[in-house]
Amino acid sequence: MNKYIKYVFIPGFIFLFYFFFPFPIFLPGNETTFVCIIFLCFVIEYFIEKAKSGEKIYMRPIAAIKAMEEAVGRATEMGKPVLYIPGISSLDQIDTISGLTILGHVAGMTAEYEASLHVPVCVPIVMETAKETCKEAYLKKGRPDLYRNDMVHYVTDDQFAYAAGVNGIMLREKPAAVFFQGKFYAESLILAETGNSIGAIQIAGTGSSSQIPFFVTACDYTLIGEEFYAASAYLSGSPEMLGSIKGQDYVKVACIILIVIVFISSILNGYGYTHFDISSLFRINVIK
Amino acid sequence: MKRQIAYFLVVFIGFLTLLGHFINYSPLNNFIDNDATQWFDIISGFAAFLGVINLLQLHLNKVTNKRANWEYSIVTLAGFTLMIIFGFIYNGSEVAMGPHLKEKGSAFYWMFENIYLPLGATMFALLAFFVASASYRAFKIRNFEATLLLISGIFLMIGRVPIGQLIPWWMALEIYICLIFAIIANRFKERKVMLYSLVIAMTTIPFLISFFNLSHLAIFKIPDLQEWIMAVPATAGSRAIMIGIALGTIAQSYRIITGRERSILGD
Repeated sequence: MNKYIKYVFIPGFIFLFYFFFPFPIFLPGNETTFVCIIFLCFVIEYFIEKAKSGEKIYMRPIAAIKAMEEAVGRATEMGKPVLYIPGISSLDQIDTISGLTILGHVAGMTAEYEASLHVPVCVPIVMETAKETCKEAYLKKGRPDLYRNDMVHYVTDDQFAYAAGVNGIMLREKPAAVFFQGKFYAESLILAETGNSIGAIQIAGTGSSSQIPFFVTACDYTLIGEEFYAASAYLSGSPEMLGSIKGQDYVKVACIILIVIVFISSILNGYGYTHFDISSLFRINVIK
Repeated sequence: MKRQIAYFLVVFIGFLTLLGHFINYSPLNNFIDNDATQWFDIISGFAAFLGVINLLQLHLNKVTNKRANWEYSIVTLAGFTLMIIFGFIYNGSEVAMGPHLKEKGSAFYWMFENIYLPLGATMFALLAFFVASASYRAFKIRNFEATLLLISGIFLMIGRVPIGQLIPWWMALEIYICLIFAIIANRFKERKVMLYSLVIAMTTIPFLISFFNLSHLAIFKIPDLQEWIMAVPATAGSRAIMIGIALGTIAQSYRIITGRERSILGD
């Protein structure tokens, strides 16, 4: 009963309040976004609760995430550093935040394996956050002695100057593992191809859809689309976080079903069997 | 306590920003559209100093301790000092300090125009060579997917250049026949049989197409085919990735806003 109140009654009440509240307290034009966000949040919350209650959650294996530990292990065996590149954007991009959350896990691995970690950064504010993330990760693993202040360092704000700087680091230090996790633009291929030329294991992850093909071509493993955002949750292994990924997957299934419905409806509409354009429901500002 | 304050700020500002997108309350909308971004810019501005200090510390340490590749650090420090001098001390033009950064005769502008821009352009130009080497690796025939990539890549390249317009329908058809035979080649036990079949297909099918008046079909015009590849399979693939990215973004934001994702704060 409690579950029904939480996952049926509360979202239903929110929707009723949003669409039928007599006073104009909500901005018009964001209806579809609002419905999608509320729906996704409640589905995720439901699966988080399910996972917390002890239900076993199956996660499909993601090769790139599994390879992260192998890459750090390989770097340790070879006595070479691990290079982590958190993209060239600032903290106002979710990709950069995701990149930094993954950095926390990678730093934990390097602390555990006693491998050397090198994080050249493009934006000063990201440098400060990355420093804190690494410091905490080393502390958490009980190896604060291995943390060096110059582990995370600033290179430059300029896109291609940064690419040149990082390429120089790659060619001089010859890292055994290179991680590209964050927001990338045109420099992605320059960096990934240089990493490829030195024979490093390369694991990339980005939300920039235009850069994914370049990473797929030049890197050994690539986290595509939502895999990149789920990586940190996946690496943490906590049931709470895994539950959120499961919820996200179910919403994806719902999206697939909706696409199929719209597809069939469009065909029926096209041949004149129905006269209702269902796709109009998904355009903003049509519900009111 | 320090960490609890950080969590509280993340959760509070996160919810506030989310609400600002839906609630029609001008002070709140103004806060998320203007004030919050200005605060972020101010904090980033201060962080820039930390970046500069970090850069100087790192390279000065390298030079003084003569660590590996310390010679490159001298170049970095020299470039840094030179730009500071041209930006803040030496002008080189008749305009006042400040506007001299955009004045053509100033030393800073000269450095920007003749050193910084060409170096940036050089790095960007390298991309062309990297694209070539990456394409070579991607197009190497290893499996069915790589073959498909190669074929669609060739059609896209031919279809997007003027010569693609001049290719007649029968030549496009011969290309398709050759491609189909390349794919099914390993099914033939004898080479002779394959060769005869190929020759028969290449000579008879164009006549059949012509006889049934099917030569006007878009599939026989390479520019139209490449348009279709871009508009249908490529767009479908990229939209699937975009939907995944959107879902991932919302889920990740939800985890951060509700304080569950704490890796960024070291947890």
